[in-house]
Amino acid sequence: MTVPLTQCLLRLIDENYTLTDYQSDIAPRWCTGCGDNSILTAVQRLCRDEQLPPEKTVVVSGIGCSSRFPHYMNAYGFHGLHGRALPVAEGIKLRRPDLHVFVTTGDGDCCSIGAAHWIHAIRYNMDMTVLLHDNEVYGLTKMQASPTSPRGLKSNTTPRGALLDPLNPLTVTLGVPNVSFVAQAVDWIPEVLFNIIAQAYRHKGFSFVRVLQRCPEFMDHRFDPWVQDPSKMRLLVHADGVQLKPDISRIYRNQETHDPTDLHRAREVASLTEEIPVGVLYRNSAVPCYEDLREGERPNTPGLIRTVLNEEFDKVTIWPEDGGATAPAE
Amino acid sequence: MTAPRTKTAYEGDSLRRRRDVRNGNMDQVALDIASPRVMDADAGPVMISAGDAALRPALFARYGDLSKLRYDFPLVLVDGEGGGRFLQSLTSVMDGILREVAPPEATAEMLRRQVLRLECEIRARVSRGESDTLSSLWKRAAADLIAEKGESLFGPLATKLDQAREALHVDGAVIDCDENTPYRVLVHVWTAVQTSKAKAFRKKVDALIMKLSDILKADFMKSDKAHTREALQSAVGTSFESAFDFAAMSRVLSRGPSEDRLSEDRRRRIRAVLQVLQSQRFYGPGRASERRPDQPEPYSFVFDGCAAALDAFRDRLPEMLDFVKALTIAELEIQNKYRTSLHDPVFARFDKSDLSEDQLAHFPSYLVCLRDGRTDPAETVRAFETLASGLPVKVLIQTDDILGTTSPEPPRSSFGAGSARLAAMAVGLNDTYVFQTANANLYRAHDRMVTGMRYDGPALFAVYSGATPSTAGVPPYLLSAAATESRAFPTFVYDPAVGPDLATRFDITDNPQATVDWPAHDLSYEDDALQHIDEKIPFTHVDFAACDTRYARYCEPAPRANWRDDMILAVDYLKLAPERSVEHHPYILTIDADNALYRTVVDDKLIDAARHCADAWRRLQELGGVNNSYANRLLARERAAWEEQKAQELAELRAAEPPTPEAAPLPEAAVPPVPAPAAAAEPAEAEESVNPDEAWIETARCTTCNECTQINNKMFAYNENMQAYIADLNAGTYRQLVEATESCQVSIIHPGKPRDLTEPNLEDLIARAESFI
Repeated sequence: MTVPLTQCLLRLIDENYTLTDYQSDIAPRWCTGCGDNSILTAVQRLCRDEQLPPEKTVVVSGIGCSSRFPHYMNAYGFHGLHGRALPVAEGIKLRRPDLHVFVTTGDGDCCSIGAAHWIHAIRYNMDMTVLLHDNEVYGLTKMQASPTSPRGLKSNTTPRGALLDPLNPLTVTLGVPNVSFVAQAVDWIPEVLFNIIAQAYRHKGFSFVRVLQRCPEFMDHRFDPWVQDPSKMRLLVHADGVQLKPDISRIYRNQETHDPTDLHRAREVASLTEEIPVGVLYRNSAVPCYEDLREGERPNTPGLIRTVLNEEFDKVTIWPEDGGATAPAE
Repeated sequence: MTAPRTKTAYEGDSLRRRRDVRNGNMDQVALDIASPRVMDADAGPVMISAGDAALRPALFARYGDLSKLRYDFPLVLVDGEGGGRFLQSLTSVMDGILREVAPPEATAEMLRRQVLRLECEIRARVSRGESDTLSSLWKRAAADLIAEKGESLFGPLATKLDQAREALHVDGAVIDCDENTPYRVLVHVWTAVQTSKAKAFRKKVDALIMKLSDILKADFMKSDKAHTREALQSAVGTSFESAFDFAAMSRVLSRGPSEDRLSEDRRRRIRAVLQVLQSQRFYGPGRASERRPDQPEPYSFVFDGCAAALDAFRDRLPEMLDFVKALTIAELEIQNKYRTSLHDPVFARFDKSDLSEDQLAHFPSYLVCLRDGRTDPAETVRAFETLASGLPVKVLIQTDDILGTTSPEPPRSSFGAGSARLAAMAVGLNDTYVFQTANANLYRAHDRMVTGMRYDGPALFAVYSGATPSTAGVPPYLLSAAATESRAFPTFVYDPAVGPDLATRFDITDNPQATVDWPAHDLSYEDDALQHIDEKIPFTHVDFAACDTRYARYCEPAPRANWRDDMILAVDYLKLAPERSVEHHPYILTIDADNALYRTVVDDKLIDAARHCADAWRRLQELGGVNNSYANRLLARERAAWEEQKAQELAELRAAEPPTPEAAPLPEAAVPPVPAPAAAAEPAEAEESVNPDEAWIETARCTTCNECTQINNKMFAYNENMQAYIADLNAGTYRQLVEATESCQVSIIHPGKPRDLTEPNLEDLIARAESFI
């Protein structure tokens, strides 16, 4: 197997991106202690390790604390409308399949106003890495209950406590046809968070990673039981999933060998309540990506698109009889 | 079944004939065999009629009128992609239709019969030489059937056939098995593979053209020219032009800061690359290429001689080099990775010696069609030179006659020599894909042909057509199938791409009963007493040669009444030692036009040819891993060594046996050493020894939350992974250390003991730090 000439010539160019190459000039304005910092660092580490050219990387977000993410990345970014990160990302991927697309979205952005897009994005299975920053509250707007808020949470919109059980983004995702990658991470185990995001990036398809993320301002101490007691964290390990380094393995001894191809077990694990599962719950590389299914055999050139559109418009155009415009010649 | 052994004139005649052949007395032989006859046991030689002389191998009995049989032919050369199946048999197409519209469980027996009747009609038309597409033949055959039945064009039969036709998903030329079939099939498969290659090529090149055009377009949009009033107005179009003040827009845009433009050098380079990509002639232009009236036609890649193909390759080489360079530059430009200082010298030096296989694979392969007996014999030599060059040239050598003429008759090489051995010789070229098969097997060889056509290097396809003029009366399908059965033209493939060794590259499994010398098949017949008899009859090279009228003079058919005990099947005769062979007469079973069974006694000439053929077949078997002589020899040697070793061990054991075995103490059973008890399930991990008096951070668990760095960014800093570590303990107070410890979200800071014992409120701080140490 010979190396293509282009690859050989590319090797002549010594590009070595460091982590700072992915840091924008804007310092993160997240609260001190916010778990978003950990996610940002993990993504920047991934970009560095994979040597993703910044000009070939794009981060798309909706609205919320987490959606400030693109501002802090030195890459293309799209800080979009509330709940609409996924359609924007899909459009980018369709038009520019050569770009590495990351989506950062919050529990309100994704699971509430953007829920319809979320469900269909899973079904479309387009190749992108989606990070759901789940702090179980609307933080940017100073604490309102989100779809993932625990029952009984007192907030501005639920002063007597949230009435409903929270939505579980993992079980929802695992229940949608064409799901191809589902993982859960927590911001307070950064090595595993990085490992999971890296696996999500390398998976071809819609890689959904829910990151449980602490909000020190409005959900302070919410995750303390799990942060302070590693035995309450269940780490899913597998040769094709997360593999723990010894120093992490020594702390988090509650481990389960979980085969990521086992959808049934993935759903069981996703439903755990007392323990927080961390790892790759499900992976199926055989699910086709929408952009591949949709890709035509021949490219649609601008000229061709213009011609076809004009033909279609001409079918319904009413040409004024008294001049002004004239009907096209047959 | 055994005929009574009687002394007849025949025996002496046959022996004399074979002796004369050995002595080279050809005039006498010719004289003897000029009058084909069977021997009557009592009345001496009996002349037989010309019709009776057309004897065929007995195993042909089951194949009468091929146009009435459902088999691999006619073939449909499928138009378009056909789901990756470029050839289909008419039978398989019709079976597909029946599965769709008349599955067996459905009550559609009438429809099934009508469709099969239609198939029969199409088959008959094709066998009569009618040549057209399947859809056209279907239309005409259906019209005939409807007319034959006296129904209207919209009657029940027409409705049923229309229903079936809706399930016809393929179309293409329908061809029978004849002398033109190998050429048509190979050209069709080559074209189909090139079409799919062209599609991938255009997709790649069109994408590059569009991206390069986008780069130039984006650059143009930054130019002053794009900011003129006219350009802006043109961009908006006429519909809403009154809503804008284009002059004002132009003024605003021209006052803005100048944007980065492409360098003139880069613009020129991209335009040059676009020109090469858009004007290539290896394939037709894609969607992204401009079509100009004066644009030259794409190149042709089908040739009837290797010299012409090689000349064309050499002539087009400069264009190929330009195209490869343009393709590579385009890929670099699109990634914005073209560096003039690095890459210009590379492209300046790039020449034909730098062309790699994967680059050549972008271009169409060259197809050269040769036909033994019609093409200049020198082309065969050139074909081997061409194949040896390693260029992507696909050579078809069609052979119509593998037995050759009988005159002049060299003693050994008149049979099976020449073109029938070309493919086996080409295997020695090592990098050439070689496929040999017969016309009758082409349908089943679909995947082999496609693989060869897709192979990046050279490929040789040797096909025996079965259209040997001297075998009138035997259809090409039957004769070519017989050539494979008789090992005269065995099927084999050598594919250098599938593996590193002969065991994976060479394959003879497409041959019938590939592990034996001659394949055997069932023959059923009735004896004199009208009793049914089943026999396994081998089909040998002798049977195949007997089909050829040029060799009829070496065959003498004997009706059942003349069968004798000293006649033995040719296949058994071949196994006899030379000294015993004179006692027997080799025969093959043949049939006449009425399917009456004969024993046709054959001459040594045919027996010798069969021996040569079997020898060549065994060499192929060895290459294919059957009865490999090296393996057999090695096996024998190892077995001998093993037996010798065992015999020696036995002898030693016997020698060591005490005279009174009952008194000897039984040897203790060998007790395997007891394994040491398993270590603890998990070895205790070496805990890092941490001095509780020293401050430290579990850096790997840091979540980059900034708590500690905000308290003192000199005492705490981030490493290359943006995770905190203690940079300088002396850069702050113990109080700051304890506060950072307490505020750490994941409690990974361990403050240790204070260093400066004069720091105020130490007792309180030490107490607060206690739980984190």
